Amino acid sequence: MHALAKGAEVFIGLFQQGGQQFVGMITGIIPTLVVLITAVNAIIKLIGEERVQRVAQASTRYFITRYTILPILAVFFLTNPMCYTFGKFVDEKYKPAFYDAAVSFVHPITGLFPHANAAELFVYMGIAAGIQKLKLNTGDLAIRYFLVGVIVILIRGIVTEKITLMMISRKDTSNKLKKEKIAL
Amino acid sequence: MFKTVKVERGSGGWGGPIILKPDEKKHIVLNVTGGGISSVAKKIAEITGADVVDGFKTNIKDKESILVAVIDCGGTARCGVYPKDGIKTINLIPGGPSGPLSKYINEENYVSGVREDNIIELSDSIDEYQSPKSSNEVSNIKNNKTEYNEGSQNFKNEKQNLLVRIGKGVGNVVGILYQSGRETIDTIIKNILPFMAFVSLIIGIILKSGAGNWIAKNISPFAGTLPGLIAISIFCAIPILSPILGPGAVIAQIIGVLVGTEIGLGHIPPQYALPALFAIDSQVGCDFVPVGLSLGDAEPETVEIGIPAVLFSRLVTGPIAVLIAYIFSFGLFH
Repeated sequence: MHALAKGAEVFIGLFQQGGQQFVGMITGIIPTLVVLITAVNAIIKLIGEERVQRVAQASTRYFITRYTILPILAVFFLTNPMCYTFGKFVDEKYKPAFYDAAVSFVHPITGLFPHANAAELFVYMGIAAGIQKLKLNTGDLAIRYFLVGVIVILIRGIVTEKITLMMISRKDTSNKLKKEKIAL
Repeated sequence: MFKTVKVERGSGGWGGPIILKPDEKKHIVLNVTGGGISSVAKKIAEITGADVVDGFKTNIKDKESILVAVIDCGGTARCGVYPKDGIKTINLIPGGPSGPLSKYINEENYVSGVREDNIIELSDSIDEYQSPKSSNEVSNIKNNKTEYNEGSQNFKNEKQNLLVRIGKGVGNVVGILYQSGRETIDTIIKNILPFMAFVSLIIGIILKSGAGNWIAKNISPFAGTLPGLIAISIFCAIPILSPILGPGAVIAQIIGVLVGTEIGLGHIPPQYALPALFAIDSQVGCDFVPVGLSLGDAEPETVEIGIPAVLFSRLVTGPIAVLIAYIFSFGLFH
């Protein structure tokens, strides 16, 4: 009997601990999140998509802005998953690279701007929760995550662009070879 | 000759039943699931006589030709993309409307948890009896709508004085703020709280059951060293694995929680948080390439090249990202 009671206690203990975690998240994370997301949502609506589109269009010309400013604007203003529609502003051959840059930014942005991908917050928040538990400052981590994210999406954009161009030219030559064979 | 099928929800599923009636124009079953064509898509095509197209290999430019999209979405992005475009959607994974585009999902255009048994062949007579009635109704609604629009335009043409304009401006801003608040609460309830419940359960079990120590022994050696993190990033970026690990970022989020818990317990040094964030995420969006590209109006040829380009690029950029993050983690938490 005693063992049974002990077992029940251990069993319910698992969920009590989980419950404490849940309350901790609700009081610790949700209040700031609600106000922050509301503010950013309002700002996005006040600025309006048209104005953002004009800047986005202008940023497609140079590769540095194409894989930094453009995806950042897209993810910030349109959020995941509609951000990929900004792919329509770039040339066909740059689209895979733009997608790669944009999708790689949907998590690094959540440290500072959780509205951009509210359904996938725990990539950052899961790890940040551990930092919080050690009573360290998560702000520093969020800013660095954002900055490294910008560098990484630039590199991803450039590398994927190179690979795409390589594959296009290889496909063209193989098509030519095929045609020549048929002609022969 | 095309036939009609009815698709019902499976166990734990939501929405439907939806009727699929292919014709000369609408004849494509778009399959966007990991690991090749799903058995559900195959069965629908077999019965109806429609054509199955693998969304990972080919991009359908003409959205009008899509009869139905078959997806396996954990509940973030893909499940809303097709309903938004007015395409009927079958989700193989059970679950109700969720994700940022959930407002486009309804019982008429979405059915989830579907398995082969849920596809039922219909005789055409039932369907023909119903369809003329519903199309009449639709046209009636449309007529009403145009009348309404004309009315509101007349109202706009009236001259407005300054006070009214200021009042309207303030009202507009307040309206935007209120709408933003409503959307935020909606997101919190639909997307954030459910994940928190699930994460709390995992953390509770890890902390109380002693699994934390087991993980510390087996995973921390990876997550707590630079070569280990690079190994994780390469593993996640393997082109066969990355599309499977991607959906909904669920796996990245669970690993994030595990690593975070271990950092909190002191098993992994906190400065490894930054490189770890990139190591566990080198597969991000690899499951979503064809959908993401077609959202950006890419040509089918671009999608064909784009998928392998992104997948192979990750093998290079995944470890590079970890290295850069490692360098940037110097001076963190000192």
